[in-house]
Amino acid sequence: MTIHGLWVISKAGGLVFSRSYSDVLPPQPVNTILTLAGILHGIHAITAKLTPTPIPGVTAGGLESFEAEGWGGKVFLTPTGTKFVVLHSLPQSGLDDLMKRIYEIYSDAVMKNPFHTPEMPINSALFETKLQTLMSGVNA
Amino acid sequence: MSSAVGYSTTPPAGSSRFSLASSSTSLYSTSQNPSSSTINNNPNRRESARSSIVPIQQQLFGGTAQPQGNVNILDRSINKTKGSEMALSAWAFIFAEVIAYSQSRSDSIADLEKRLSTLGYEVGQRILSLVLLRNTQASNLKDPKREHRLIPILQFVHTQIYKYVFGKPADGLERSSEAEDEYMLVLNESPLSQFISVPKDMSDLSCESFTAGLVEGVLDGLEVPARVTAHWVGDQYPDHPQRTVILIKLDQKVMDREEALGK
Repeated sequence: MTIHGLWVISKAGGLVFSRSYSDVLPPQPVNTILTLAGILHGIHAITAKLTPTPIPGVTAGGLESFEAEGWGGKVFLTPTGTKFVVLHSLPQSGLDDLMKRIYEIYSDAVMKNPFHTPEMPINSALFETKLQTLMSGVNA
Repeated sequence: MSSAVGYSTTPPAGSSRFSLASSSTSLYSTSQNPSSSTINNNPNRRESARSSIVPIQQQLFGGTAQPQGNVNILDRSINKTKGSEMALSAWAFIFAEVIAYSQSRSDSIADLEKRLSTLGYEVGQRILSLVLLRNTQASNLKDPKREHRLIPILQFVHTQIYKYVFGKPADGLERSSEAEDEYMLVLNESPLSQFISVPKDMSDLSCESFTAGLVEGVLDGLEVPARVTAHWVGDQYPDHPQRTVILIKLDQKVMDREEALGK
């Protein structure tokens, strides 16, 4: 499995972080990624309402993953509404663990950083370094 | 003995350095020391306290012992540290909030560092009292030790204070090669600021100013006035990108005293 990229989408649907970790997928301009992230946010909200057999008392989570030819995406929603989207190669394995690791790094390097403003673009060297280490471990 | 005098505050004369108030009745015979004395003559107290060891806070503040698990911070035993450690995450969040708060009230990086340093100073003063008290009690009040020479004091900070605050001694204590009165405490990775990523436009800022203030507070309490500052040197050490040096610039008065005391 190769990780192609990571997006972090704020609860309002804005892209706050995006990095590419391989050159398999063609690089996109930032504006395109912003738009795509916005669309994904919308689709996620719609899918959450479309659950065919809703379980009473349980809130439907919405889109969890999508697949295209040769690559796919995994969506992880935190309880506070932040979404992590990982673009990966197929077949994939161990994505759930990876998602938890990313969430952990996010909690440590972003949420505990006094210079970060919630819902604003992530600008933390520590976050990037830690992610880079994690991703090069996975992609190796 | 009646229950009304159950919470006497007078430890035996001569052996205590921490009595606050004296009351007319003492529960302790002179051979007992306060930290290990048991109360056998007060049934109410014995019921409520699970252990027979009387926490020093209760002697000082007259608190009532509660069942363990829901104990007021003032009712805890002063010597028992196991289980009362704080989660690093909780600390990280509160420290982040402290920095954000200070930042919103300061107009420059120097001002922000000053504010953090001032907060650290207050912490240092309190930690010093606590560590000294614990050491005194650990030595059973027989041989209370308090360093008075410069090098042992710095080693005390390097080992005991750092161990208390960070869980491990500092990674190095060095004397500056340029100035006689400058010493450096090195910590390769501080738990305090390990999650903090300083933005580029504030790259001069060292959040370890808090630690610097803490060290200054401790040194001041030991009668070693000094100007303490924190400097990030991680760029020179690729292995330790968070390496920080706490620079201690001693007051001239300290150097004079050291010289007068001689070897």
